Amino acid sequence: MSSTAEPSLLRSPGVPAPAVTPTPVGVPLPPAEDDPGWFQRAVFYEVFVRGFFDSDDDGIGDLRGLVAKLDYLQWLGVDCLWLLPFYPSPMRDGGYDIADYRSVHRDYGTVDDLRDLLVEAHRRGIRVIADLVINHTSDTHPWFEESRQSRDNPKADWYVWNDDDQRWPEARVVFVDTERSNWAWDPNREQYYWHRFYSHQPDLNYDNPEVVEAMLGVVRYWLDLGLDGFRLDAVPFLYQRDGTSGENLPETHAFIRRLRGVIDDEYPGRILLAEANGWPADVADYFGDGDECHLCFHFPLMPRLFMAVRREQRYPITEILAQTPDAPEGAQWAIFLRNHDELTLEMVSEEERDYLFAEYAKDPRMKRHMGIGRRLAPLLDRDRRLTELLYSLLLSLPGSPVVYYGDEVQMGDNLYLGDRDSVRTPMQWTPDRNGGFSRADFAQLYLPPLMDPVYGFAAVNVEAQQRNPSSFLHWLRRMLHLRRQFPVFGTGAFEVVPCSNPSVLAYVRTSREPEGTSMLCVHNLSRFGQPADLYLGPWTARQPVELVGRVPFPLVGNDPYPVTLAPYGFWWFELTEPAPLLADGPPAIQPDGAAP
Amino acid sequence: MSPVRTVETAGRPLPEHAYPALAEAVAAMAARHPEWLFPMLPQGIPAPPAVPAIDLAAAPGTVGEPAAPVPSGSTVLAGDVAVRVADVVVPGRPGVVSVVADLGPRTVHALLGLRAPGAETFPLPDADEAPVGLLDLDDGLGVLSDALGDAQYCLALLGAVAGQQGDVERVRRAWMSDESTAIAFDDRIALAVYGRLPAEPAPHPGLEMYLALDEVGFNHVAAPIARWRRGGWDLGVVRDYEPGAAGGWALALTSLRDLYASDGPPERAGADFGPEARRLGTMAARMHLGLDQAYGRRPGDVVAWVGAVERSVQRVAPELLADAEVADLLAALRSMSVPCPAIRTHGDFHLGRVERTDLGWFVFDFSPGGTPVFGAGTVPPGMHAGAEGAGPVYRSPLADVADMLWSFRHVADTAAAERDPSGRLGLSALARAWESRNRRAFLSGYLATPGIRGLVPPATGLARNLAAAFELERTAAKLALHA
Repeated sequence: MSSTAEPSLLRSPGVPAPAVTPTPVGVPLPPAEDDPGWFQRAVFYEVFVRGFFDSDDDGIGDLRGLVAKLDYLQWLGVDCLWLLPFYPSPMRDGGYDIADYRSVHRDYGTVDDLRDLLVEAHRRGIRVIADLVINHTSDTHPWFEESRQSRDNPKADWYVWNDDDQRWPEARVVFVDTERSNWAWDPNREQYYWHRFYSHQPDLNYDNPEVVEAMLGVVRYWLDLGLDGFRLDAVPFLYQRDGTSGENLPETHAFIRRLRGVIDDEYPGRILLAEANGWPADVADYFGDGDECHLCFHFPLMPRLFMAVRREQRYPITEILAQTPDAPEGAQWAIFLRNHDELTLEMVSEEERDYLFAEYAKDPRMKRHMGIGRRLAPLLDRDRRLTELLYSLLLSLPGSPVVYYGDEVQMGDNLYLGDRDSVRTPMQWTPDRNGGFSRADFAQLYLPPLMDPVYGFAAVNVEAQQRNPSSFLHWLRRMLHLRRQFPVFGTGAFEVVPCSNPSVLAYVRTSREPEGTSMLCVHNLSRFGQPADLYLGPWTARQPVELVGRVPFPLVGNDPYPVTLAPYGFWWFELTEPAPLLADGPPAIQPDGAAP
Repeated sequence: MSPVRTVETAGRPLPEHAYPALAEAVAAMAARHPEWLFPMLPQGIPAPPAVPAIDLAAAPGTVGEPAAPVPSGSTVLAGDVAVRVADVVVPGRPGVVSVVADLGPRTVHALLGLRAPGAETFPLPDADEAPVGLLDLDDGLGVLSDALGDAQYCLALLGAVAGQQGDVERVRRAWMSDESTAIAFDDRIALAVYGRLPAEPAPHPGLEMYLALDEVGFNHVAAPIARWRRGGWDLGVVRDYEPGAAGGWALALTSLRDLYASDGPPERAGADFGPEARRLGTMAARMHLGLDQAYGRRPGDVVAWVGAVERSVQRVAPELLADAEVADLLAALRSMSVPCPAIRTHGDFHLGRVERTDLGWFVFDFSPGGTPVFGAGTVPPGMHAGAEGAGPVYRSPLADVADMLWSFRHVADTAAAERDPSGRLGLSALARAWESRNRRAFLSGYLATPGIRGLVPPATGLARNLAAAFELERTAAKLALHA
């Protein structure tokens, strides 16, 4: 900056300095225990290690490859990586069938590689959590191999065995399209074993204290290595009881409290993120009284975001948020647009599901199970304004946002790949061979990268977007850095602002601290420009300051506050106190009709 | 649900020697309230020619937007005003006086603020704060102005009617319609004041119906707080206020604009209205079940209804009766032998009378005795000749259903004309597709509501036929209004 600049004169009097000093990007993290609320303000980035970057030219992404790309992730501005399962596994369920809890799949590297990853990530101010499947193991796990040998070996009761397959008929079959029963016959032991998911994934027996201790040992092992927490896969199913559905049982909550106790006592600041697909009021049980999981995914919000922008009205969003309990103090919802699974439509009505299928899965190949197997960009026809609108919602609604790898460059999907592989193709780094993902031969790649004219790596890649300051990647980076300056987006209270235009969704995020900031976020869910009169009563006489440009807008008066929005447009305003210059004199504007 | 408070303000009448001054003030107020006089009757004060016709069926412009100002030259003179009663509602200065007066054949209700000369005013935005007169009473000279145009009078009125002011921070005009002017307090509660009253003291039928529905637990209405009465007239009501509500008309337009721009079938167009139409149908059925619970039912006379439909069509479009389909429809209904209950109905149920809030659909402005705007000489749809004075009107709930279905057609055509005034784009096929989809959705929501089958003909085909006949009547009434 030139030394002749006169910031004190040039600064607009209505714009106080940001209330919070931004965390400089790239400063090594404070120890987690010194900042126990970090996850409430964090932006998570979901990494599919297999598809991220291949460091050893074998066609499969690995942990060293992820280390090599940490500078990029730091540049992007994410706070925490969430790794899909990296454990040894026969890979019959994308690694969610774990064959060894204390090791790393050889495709991905070694435990030492993981330790390096943690050190290097922490050095860059990035935390790392990992998937952990505690409900079941692979049938190739040594525990199960031993358990199935006989009815009296030391691990005989580590799994759930029964002589017939009639017990617990109330428990539904989760994977109805592949499994007919929750019981499977083991010819060796001549008994049935219990499995809530695939028959090659036997459920562990949590009524056996040895299993509980073994799993706590696994948790300690990885936390000792430096991991910052776990995403707990399929938590509701840990126990079975007669006459129940076997989901969300009190015993399951008791186990999670015990797990949380270990973390609070021995590893303060590390986190548990629960995957429980259900209505928010039910899922919130996994927060406990702040003594179970730190974060729970909010599943029903995501399809309603898509529904709202197609219907051009806010009600799908406001209705689900009205049914969403506040996370208890010290806890947080996790929200997302897309992830490694299909866009699941379990949490919408049949009518809404038909509508979303009709809107977003015009080709039957796009349907997967109870959902839509597409990435964000193809879902939105790569509409830049609509994509920005949805990210604006993701980054400003209550909850910690989770970004899926590749969505930051608007990557596409491959519908011709089976099951969920359509959204797990290699990350597109450059326009070079294999999209810069790997230097292996093309035929060696775990999945082919996209090469179509719209989404192929020649057209869509990180290098091109990094070079172009007006790319979506740069836009998202700016928004992530902006959001980071204002913790209120993570922890603030949420209140919908009344507005009679049904296409406009406006809300205020208010800091729970007495002197904290308030953010007004206004979104146009329509593809046409819209006016909106906002009823900002409690914020009368505040001055909205547009966040990206710090542009002061007119004061909020007694009348509804008028804003205009471009198609799919949005505003983020900080609602600042009136201009300090006027504070001593008479108010510059006497709001008309103010009560005497 | 806390009980609705009823407040009488007949306690402190003003002396008759104040009437001439009050008449002057009411005459001056008339210039600010064109809705008091619209539409004009043949004799009496000439209607101001520049006031646009209020399209009641469409109605979107009548709610939430101020009425068009009366041009100068249509002045009401004090001699045209006969003060019936005048009461002090809020004593002292500043105080509020309520005046019921006859303007020619119309009976109106004016609220006048009274303040000491030179006292401070707190005008609401867009309000005309100019004094409308002076009042010289025993306690000294007072300046009269429109009480609903000034925050201090509005607050005092709220205190008098609702019993407490609380710590209100913001006062705003919420809406001005042909029936009422409403003031919002902190965008939380609204005081609606009726400007036009029946000639003889009588309860406001729409207000009674609204309160009765609330009483039986129907929750698609804003919660009432207090009812303001004076000598048998209903002067106003205090109720919850939901400023973020979107009018049904506006929401339908949102859908139609997207459809007309996208050229697809309506169920594939982005802003599909179908699910909302379905929810609206469910609300309509719940409303009718509530009205049945509140007022009971009577046996309906299908033949008489069909006769009335025929007569009203005969008046405006006799050629329609020669149409084979119409003739078949009416004949089929005449020979219908199944019982068809009659209940009290909304009376003017269309997209302009419903609003979508973040909680769901709400309904307002009940007109169970017909709408004043239709005028004393005309027969509003579904209100058959001779109904007036013969007690409350009972008719098939399908008459309300027909009004809403009719309104789907009307909004689709309105949006098409808005986008394509020349008609060159050929939007009418899309308009019909939208209409038909949302009719079906509304009806399926309506007929799928548990309990509603007891109020409509048991066979869906019969129910549709009867609704079609009522819709014909609605169209005829609309044509009559424009004739």
